[in-house]
Amino acid sequence: MKRLVVIGAGMASGRMLEHLFEADPDAFQVTLFNAEPRGNYNRIMLSPVLSGEKSYEEIVTHDDDWYAGNNVTCRFGERVTGIDRERRVVCGEHGEVAYDKLVIATGSSPFIIPVEGRDLPGVVSYRDLDDTNAMIDATGLPNARAVVIGGGLLGLEAAAGLRLRGMEVTIIHLAGHLMERQLDEAAGYLLQKDIENRGIRVITRASTKAILGKSRVEGVALEDGSVIPADLVVMAVGIRPSAQLAKDTGLEVGRAITVNASMQTSDPDIYAVGECVEFEGTLFGLVAPLYDQAKVLAKELLGEGDAFVVKELSTKLKVTGCDLFSAGDFAEGEGREDIVFRDPARGVYRRLVIERNRLVGAVMYGDTADSNWFFGLIRDGEDIAEMRETLIFGQSYQGGAPLDPTAAVAALPDDAEICGCNGVCKGTIVEAVSTKGLTTLDDVRAHTKASASCGTCTGLVEKLMVLTLGDAFEAAAVPPMCKCTDLGHDEVRRLIKTKELKTIPAVMQELEWKTSCGCAKCRPALNYYLVSDWPEEYADDYQSRFINERVHANIQKDGTYSVVPRMWGGQTTSAELRAIADVVDKFNIPSVKCTGGQRIDMLGVKKEDLPAIWADLGKAGFVSGHAYAKGLRTVKTCVGSDWCRFGTQDSTGLGVRLEKFMWGSWTPAKVKLAVSGCPRNCAEATCKDVGVVCVDSGYEIHYAGAAGLDIKGTEVLGLVKTEDEAVEYISALVQMYREQGHYLERIYKWAKRIGYDEVRRQIMEDAEARKAYFDRFVFSQKFAQVDPWSERVSGKDKHEFKPMASFPESKVEAAE
Amino acid sequence: MDAVLDKPVNTFIEVTEVWVPDGDRLVLDSGNYGTLKEFATISGQESFAKGEGLPGKAWGEARPVVLKEFDGSYFKRTEAAKAAGLTSAVAVPVFSGDTLKAVLVVLCADDDVRTGAIEVWTEKDDLLMLEDGYYGAAKHFEWVSQHTHFPRGQGLPGGVWAANTPMLMRDLGSGYRFIRSDSAGKAGLTTGLGLPVSVPGDKTYVLTLLSARGTPIARRFELWDARSAKVGSANDAVLADGICTREGPLWNDEKERRVSAWQGLIGKVLGSGMPIVERDAPGIPAGYSMMVGLPIYQGVELAHIVAWYL
Repeated sequence: MKRLVVIGAGMASGRMLEHLFEADPDAFQVTLFNAEPRGNYNRIMLSPVLSGEKSYEEIVTHDDDWYAGNNVTCRFGERVTGIDRERRVVCGEHGEVAYDKLVIATGSSPFIIPVEGRDLPGVVSYRDLDDTNAMIDATGLPNARAVVIGGGLLGLEAAAGLRLRGMEVTIIHLAGHLMERQLDEAAGYLLQKDIENRGIRVITRASTKAILGKSRVEGVALEDGSVIPADLVVMAVGIRPSAQLAKDTGLEVGRAITVNASMQTSDPDIYAVGECVEFEGTLFGLVAPLYDQAKVLAKELLGEGDAFVVKELSTKLKVTGCDLFSAGDFAEGEGREDIVFRDPARGVYRRLVIERNRLVGAVMYGDTADSNWFFGLIRDGEDIAEMRETLIFGQSYQGGAPLDPTAAVAALPDDAEICGCNGVCKGTIVEAVSTKGLTTLDDVRAHTKASASCGTCTGLVEKLMVLTLGDAFEAAAVPPMCKCTDLGHDEVRRLIKTKELKTIPAVMQELEWKTSCGCAKCRPALNYYLVSDWPEEYADDYQSRFINERVHANIQKDGTYSVVPRMWGGQTTSAELRAIADVVDKFNIPSVKCTGGQRIDMLGVKKEDLPAIWADLGKAGFVSGHAYAKGLRTVKTCVGSDWCRFGTQDSTGLGVRLEKFMWGSWTPAKVKLAVSGCPRNCAEATCKDVGVVCVDSGYEIHYAGAAGLDIKGTEVLGLVKTEDEAVEYISALVQMYREQGHYLERIYKWAKRIGYDEVRRQIMEDAEARKAYFDRFVFSQKFAQVDPWSERVSGKDKHEFKPMASFPESKVEAAE
Repeated sequence: MDAVLDKPVNTFIEVTEVWVPDGDRLVLDSGNYGTLKEFATISGQESFAKGEGLPGKAWGEARPVVLKEFDGSYFKRTEAAKAAGLTSAVAVPVFSGDTLKAVLVVLCADDDVRTGAIEVWTEKDDLLMLEDGYYGAAKHFEWVSQHTHFPRGQGLPGGVWAANTPMLMRDLGSGYRFIRSDSAGKAGLTTGLGLPVSVPGDKTYVLTLLSARGTPIARRFELWDARSAKVGSANDAVLADGICTREGPLWNDEKERRVSAWQGLIGKVLGSGMPIVERDAPGIPAGYSMMVGLPIYQGVELAHIVAWYL
């Protein structure tokens, strides 16, 4: 009988032995080494053991009887110290064993982040039963707190298990959403919601700086300076193939042990299987390909031919109550098309990615009923052209006539609830429409309350009206924000507030976006609305901003940038001018230009030079002029009463004060101010978004002017007596615009849309409303007045400034 | 080994019965009374209006009800129960949306050795608090439980609440919650079944059945997932978890076990949407004589089925 030595008693080698004994129990005398003091168990079921939903005994795959029955010599708890290929022996801690064939199945080891404190007691990885038991032991401490580093599959399962065992758990995750390798942003949002619903805190975009503690772990410090107290830290950030033994033996090793399709290493008598192998550049971490490898290897050892091939994989999470599925490639790309289905009430999201009439990727959350069917379509590359219209609804919808959404509504019974918020059923709406002669959505809202609260049933109510009234239904003429939604800007803004939606994925899921991640129209708009409505809580999503706002400079037609530092009220000094001159010389800036907003524009700057230029400008006291921003840009002033014979007030002083008070605020579109010291209006205040014309009796506030594509004189808001009042009224006005404006809607268009009288009523006549707007503006400024240039000099978003080809976006805005 | 396992044991629950609406009253649909023939006969002659007796109270108040003292209570079969040695009862209403499908009633007999727990947890101030529970002889565990609350996601009750799904816990004594595990271990509690009880309105209820090795509630538990989000439009259910003292683990992470409506006893629950109590019926696994199948609704959808066997 030939001698087979196997190093590692994991799932891959265990499955290989099963196949081997099943096919020919007498082919080999097997010796099995395992560093763990036990045999093969179902490692992927450790999470339910951690949570208490399974016992260890249940997940043992091969017990002592199985090994004895198959005459396997078990050397468990014994490390292999070397392999002597010349003598064909494996050296264990307790002696050598000769082999004819050798299988290396050393698996993988957890990746440990190289941070200070990683060796402290209480810091564990999550790989085997001992790790699991260490975590269970830690849950025995009263009020114990755990931090799980890593929001991937393993990290989430660890967190849920520890929480179930009674711990306070925080997950810290480097990426923007959980399980970013398997899920898109939308599914990641739902997953986070489900995880948080278990009382687990989730912090994304969090980078671990150090693990704190003296004699044992006491907390985790993050790069942003925050500290999370912890009695247990679980590192679940990934695995590394364990290939050192093979490397020391002189076998060919790349990122792991290199094998061919027969699982053979560079030594023909040595094979490798499982997570320790690399095949055609691919590493393996999920169990399905490991089992395929095991089958191939068993055949190879028995002299039968077979070849391992890499197949599509799917992902499932073992957290009870979290239903998710992911398979294939769901990255966006040219020629790819998304089909998206969302059901906010049930927390369901489905996305299919199609390329050349083939399903290439699927992400599902909350409803995984058809996951196996979709996986089959991806794996088999089946042509789905015939099913295109109904594909998203799953297998049971195929073969029939395409779904007509109106017919589906017609088929609903009269007692079907249409408006969940107000408990209004189909029969009530139809009866009200029929008997009361209602023809508009507003009528139905007024009479039945349907669609009058959160508004997500609006589409359903409109379909009911179409069914009942036919062409007599007067559909609202509100244009949707973009192709991703049927909702208009106002409705979206209202729902963001009423439903307290605080992230872009939350908006898209809860408002039933028709695309997975939005588009270039809705993402910047949503980002602005969220910045505006939740200044304290919302984390600005820079990826949702146009290029100018991402790099804090204006891209020019040749791909270079222009740089405009802020000059408060248009005033400058010789020192500032020298600093600008030095920067121009140092960086060979080809063009310098005075702008219409009383500032200096340096043109032709290379992208990679921007941070260094900002650093030099910052040393001279400059901050960003936001010449690129949908935000406050310039405050143009005349010299006012300080110098001018006609000046009635200190217009320069007021301009500087306004600019210093309001800079940094994001607005729906750019906002330019001007302050003129007298009605001669040298600062041209009467064509600005907001202007002040100083008069002997005080300050005349103007707004809603335009001097760009449209030319329009300002409207007079009113007269105030003091500078303080001018600042309060103007801030309140801008805040009102910030809260009500549609993204990219200039102030003059906004004011015309909602009515000049309404603006005057709220700002000039309603002191309470004005005060509330002002207070909200002041609150918002606490989070807005951070100089983006100095942030980037400190290293923020440094990837944006690496030298590379720039592709100007189709819409390039003027600097001022 | 089987001979040891299969010998008759004192069980925590003596009687299990299903009451179903018939007009404006609840009538007996099925039951397992063991040797308590007289109590079975009297129960068969009984019916309850809404709010009347224990089943009627669970219906009327739309909540699980624990009754630990029959004397002087609203319990209608007190004399017969006393004659049968029954001392306590728990009634669990099964609602599909606002519609009552049935009331499951279990009755227990007190003595010094029977331990186990049937607990009703309800949400208050974002915590699950013990509304009531029957523990038999596990007095210390009862006291501990009365002084325990569960946040979302913690422990069996908190886990069921957060996931809105039934859960089956093993090795209770080794700690699913620090405070209770020690006491659970001393009481001999080994396996815990937790399930959400759906009722009209916005109240949250979680029912837990904690079984001891010596006086088990059951020796085999099964959880079936029947949600359309899992099985699609087919009226099917897939085994999500299960444990059996004879067969060991019933779950299989590689091979799905699936039944359709009316296929076997689980299929009967799935097809009818009603709880069942079966004794010596075809389909009960070898070594067992009694089975309870309880549908778990989420709104109007039959979402899960839990089954336990003795």
